[in-house]
Amino acid sequence: MSNTLRPDLGEFEHLVKDGAVDLLAHIESGDFSGAIKIIQELSEARHTSFYNEVGTLTRSLHDAIRDFQVDSLNLVEDDGTSDDASRMTDASDRLTYVIEMTNSAANKTMDMVDSSVPVASELKAQAKSLRKDWGRLIQRDLTPQEFRNLYKRIDTFLEYADDSATTLHSNLNTILLEQGYQDLTGQVITRVNDLIRDVEEKLVHLVAVAGRVDSISGIEHKESESEHDDTRGYGPAINKQDSPEVLNNQDEVDDLLSSLGF
Amino acid sequence: MKILIVDDFSTMRRIIKNLLRDLGFTNTVEADDGTTALPILQAGSIDFLVTDWNMPGMTGIELLRAVRADEKLKSIPVLMVTAEAKRDQIISAAQAGVNGYVVKPFTAVALKEKIEKIFERIDSVK
Repeated sequence: MSNTLRPDLGEFEHLVKDGAVDLLAHIESGDFSGAIKIIQELSEARHTSFYNEVGTLTRSLHDAIRDFQVDSLNLVEDDGTSDDASRMTDASDRLTYVIEMTNSAANKTMDMVDSSVPVASELKAQAKSLRKDWGRLIQRDLTPQEFRNLYKRIDTFLEYADDSATTLHSNLNTILLEQGYQDLTGQVITRVNDLIRDVEEKLVHLVAVAGRVDSISGIEHKESESEHDDTRGYGPAINKQDSPEVLNNQDEVDDLLSSLGF
Repeated sequence: MKILIVDDFSTMRRIIKNLLRDLGFTNTVEADDGTTALPILQAGSIDFLVTDWNMPGMTGIELLRAVRADEKLKSIPVLMVTAEAKRDQIISAAQAGVNGYVVKPFTAVALKEKIEKIFERIDSVK
């Protein structure tokens, strides 16, 4: 383990070893006040190296959070006085923005679908009814009055077809443009993701250093495991193939249920 | 036929509502979690329940259990439409008395098939 220590902690380890030799020498020669002084020095060195390390990590954590800025999409006013907590809030605000944006895009898309469906139904109904009479025309099965009627209806239909094609075209275009949310939310999520990776990396390092200092200072921590409440759910499964406990699709769910007698 | 749709995301409620309308079920009501769904169910007149699993407040599985434990509500058919796809979860939903289980993302065909199957079963019991 000692060879993985950072230089300053390695130095501390040497200090402890040398100090122990000195301490023993002082005790053996009966110089107890000298021995106590060495113990005090060691204790101070321990504190100093620990706090130095924590200080370094705190600074890099601070830097990582400060670096997290998306200027073009700034949602929180940054006057340069905000502290770390509010920058984390900024990340959370950005994710809220993603939820809002995807929500709005989904709703606009559904609005367009809602307004297109009746147009398509009406086109279909009119075409169907015209086609029937058109068939009778081909069969020369229409009375002159019916023919005049059909003549007018075809004119009305063509106008309606023209208008509805324009409506549908514009609705489809709106749907297309709404998909732009993917780009914008993708950018925001990538930034938040980078921050999380950065913070995690530094936290792992902090935990590792804290662990080494713990082992030097002899502190032990009890591991506490929290159990997941199944009723709360897990959310959508990611990397399903990696987990045999997660079913991949509706067919697998159906198979499981039918094996249970469904 | 009055259907209650329970999901915390309004877009998902809207998708399910539209699909149900295409299947001819035009009478729907909505709730955003179990806590708001239960009073609607208890007020009566709901014939079919479609619920998500993962919701704030009262979850779908808790709602299902509450429905099955209620003398007045226990015969209402319940269809779960959820992203939860762990084997244990599906087994506990089945044990709690779910009538159908659709995993998200789902297709209109899958939803239609499950709803029809539930009605077929109910009709065959009658």
